[in-house]
Amino acid sequence: MTSVTAKEGTQPPGAAQRAVISVRGVEKYFPIKEGTLQRVVGHVQAVDGVSFDVRPGETMGLVGESGCGKTTLGRCIGGLVPPSGGKIYFRLSDEDAARLDVIDPIPEADRTVEQRKQVGRIDANHRVDVLSGKAWRMYRRNCQIVFQDSFSSLNPRQLVKDLVGRPLQVHKEASGQELTERVVSLLESVGLGRQHLYRYAHQFSGGQRQRISIARALALDPEFIVLDEPTSALDVSVQAQILNLLHDLQKERGLTYLFISHDLGVVRLMSDRIAVMYLGKVAEYGTATELFEDPRHPYTEALLAANPDIRSEESMMKGLKGAVPNPAKPPEGCRFHTRCPVVTPACGWEVDDSVAWLQTHELLAAGLADVQRRSNFDATLVFHDEESASAVSQAIQNGDMPPAMKAALENVSTEGRSVQITFFPVEPVELEDIGDGHLTACLLQTERRHQTWPPQPSADTSSRTAANPSSASTRNSSTR
Amino acid sequence: MLVNESHVAINTRYDRATRPLVASVRDLKVYFEAKAGVVHAVDGVSFDIRDGETLGLVGETGCGKSVTARAFIRLVPSPPGIYAGGEIDFWSTEARKNGSDPIDLLEIPHDEMLAIRGDRIAMIFQDPGKALNPALSIRSQVAEVFYQHRSEDILEPMGDHVPRLIRRAAQQQTNSFERILLKFPPWRAKAEKLKERVDDLVARALTETQISNPRTIMDSYPHELSGGMKQRVLIAQALACNPDLLIADEPTTALDVTIQARILELISELQERLETSVLYISHDLSLVKEICDRVAVMYAGRIVETGTTEEVFSDPKHPYTRGLMAAVPSAHHKRGELAAIEGTVPELVDPPPACRFNTRCPFAVEICQTTDPRVLMVGAEHTVACFAYDTSDGSVVLPTLERWVS
Repeated sequence: MTSVTAKEGTQPPGAAQRAVISVRGVEKYFPIKEGTLQRVVGHVQAVDGVSFDVRPGETMGLVGESGCGKTTLGRCIGGLVPPSGGKIYFRLSDEDAARLDVIDPIPEADRTVEQRKQVGRIDANHRVDVLSGKAWRMYRRNCQIVFQDSFSSLNPRQLVKDLVGRPLQVHKEASGQELTERVVSLLESVGLGRQHLYRYAHQFSGGQRQRISIARALALDPEFIVLDEPTSALDVSVQAQILNLLHDLQKERGLTYLFISHDLGVVRLMSDRIAVMYLGKVAEYGTATELFEDPRHPYTEALLAANPDIRSEESMMKGLKGAVPNPAKPPEGCRFHTRCPVVTPACGWEVDDSVAWLQTHELLAAGLADVQRRSNFDATLVFHDEESASAVSQAIQNGDMPPAMKAALENVSTEGRSVQITFFPVEPVELEDIGDGHLTACLLQTERRHQTWPPQPSADTSSRTAANPSSASTRNSSTR
Repeated sequence: MLVNESHVAINTRYDRATRPLVASVRDLKVYFEAKAGVVHAVDGVSFDIRDGETLGLVGETGCGKSVTARAFIRLVPSPPGIYAGGEIDFWSTEARKNGSDPIDLLEIPHDEMLAIRGDRIAMIFQDPGKALNPALSIRSQVAEVFYQHRSEDILEPMGDHVPRLIRRAAQQQTNSFERILLKFPPWRAKAEKLKERVDDLVARALTETQISNPRTIMDSYPHELSGGMKQRVLIAQALACNPDLLIADEPTTALDVTIQARILELISELQERLETSVLYISHDLSLVKEICDRVAVMYAGRIVETGTTEEVFSDPKHPYTRGLMAAVPSAHHKRGELAAIEGTVPELVDPPPACRFNTRCPFAVEICQTTDPRVLMVGAEHTVACFAYDTSDGSVVLPTLERWVS
């Protein structure tokens, strides 16, 4: 059924149809440049290894907070920016997908000539970022984008007739009277009409402008549309009109959507399958019902808990502590561990977390002079004087530090005015299947929760397993 | 049951009210001059805010909710804005204690308004990125409130005999010559003491909003802070003087849901502690339901329905309120079957007497297009302006309205 895979090559058997869009390990890094020479000093990891398939006629939802990379991923898929790693395929047949599954894990140098040829053929015909010529034009026809802000995505100097008719002209589909008639029928299909042909974008309301954007996207009768927050700038009553319209068009024309939004209610309504993104990675993936009725990642739970529901009886809005970490240096282990309410010692505690903890204590932070890192897990904190150093090590010992972080510490040693801290190194948390194509990137849901944690094996496993069912059950009771 | 004049309707309401009023808006009209004519942005709005309550003002874009809020502290630019009528009566804590008459915020002179703004009535704006000055540090932006309104507080540790120059410094009224003087002895030590005191006050205000390291934050500039942090700074600024009325104009629209929940928790916690009344403006019905005690629904410059949150959300009366609620997507909806309100908000240029919602109302009848609806009492605190409930002439009753409740 599904094929979002943590690592490529674990696609379950029996995938029925070809995927319209197949995203495989896509990465998009933006360089951070500094200085007069514009030297690259780092990368913002906007999208970091995302994989999923979008099947014909379905709506794939992409949710997450601002800055989680959902729009960047949408732009990569739309062919507007090339991904810096990974591949995006269009209309990949099952046989080709199976071939790629076999070939992809093999390093480039070890592939046979036959395998290289196959990859070359598949890439030339299906891989979005290397398509050219006819195949590229075919892709541009079949993949359209509706943007969030209809003010900036419609040229203020063009008439509606030109805005909507432009794709038809570019692809030499129609001209003259025929073009006008085609535009009129497109406008009619989105609830506008002939009287709107000779107007400018600014003469329309927000909802109407979004209709024009949709009409333009439909002009070439595409197979796939990326909807990038199509209703977030609209009022609820108008949003409802547009959502209904999008659904009707999908039914009529058999469209496939990638629906990007930060609004959980809207995504739930519109999507068959949803991927929840956090800091460039997919945190959880599953069908809309599964995800909302039985969320299996604390971030999804937090999003649901923070979302006010107009129809629920009890009030239950709950926020998350802290801010989204810097995407140029995402946290180790699970990326969500800095804000997670059910965090365990195994979730990836690192030096940055201990420094952040120090900074919440004004007195302790005041003494901090320098942080000498040897790795993300190992550093020496240098203080201005011995007193602050011993105050900090005391604070660590007597439970001022969050218990999970303390348990993750392999070693703390104070020497003069420096405190050396070492955390147990942790591997990144990858998506894992927890049944029926429901994937989550949470340790608590996967086999790794049974692994013993070095410091106090018995105590930890009990606390982790205890945290898991309770959080899941509170969620369940509140959604029903 | 039925009351002819909106004034009377509301007067009967305060007799029943247990809490004293903080503000009372009567028939407020704010117009804007435009090329096409006069835009009636706010056209006869009346509501009350009681002590310690949160009143939600909901409506779609362009319905006049922000203009109403800004009229409280006369922030509507004029021209093109025209305060065309009505009054906003405001009782400060002292006025309520002394039992004295309220002041009309639209009538008082400018300098009195300056004393009220930021002190008795404070406002939190929609976009924290735009509301903070990017060129000033957080310290100086929060300190400004104290210099403006709390110079006595700043001077407190100085003892009884404060030199005039220092007093002027505490009110930020020094001229450039005096500022140079303050850099040299004997003034220098006093000026530094003053600065320390202000820093303490700023740090305390920031701590109130659960900023964990206020001294570090004070020295940073707005671009260094996240959206949620900026909004906390704005809240600290707004609540620094413990105002009687806090106007929150969509304070969380620019924030993510997880941050939004934290900010709202913070606002309601501080409100409870400081006993501030809040006028909460939002387009998001589900948020308003979550945090408000009473709700006023606005449409096209008028209030169409008011009531306690329970009343309005469990038994919405006005077709517009029902339409809005039905349009919010939820688990109960099937795809493609969202109840949308057809059409768009009408132009408000010289509107004729009519129910403003008649162009989009599925139940509109002839009278809706020719006459202004009256404000009717439909419950103890529940008012609605719709002919469907106007049984005075017994003619117009719209049983099909029930269809809207899903």
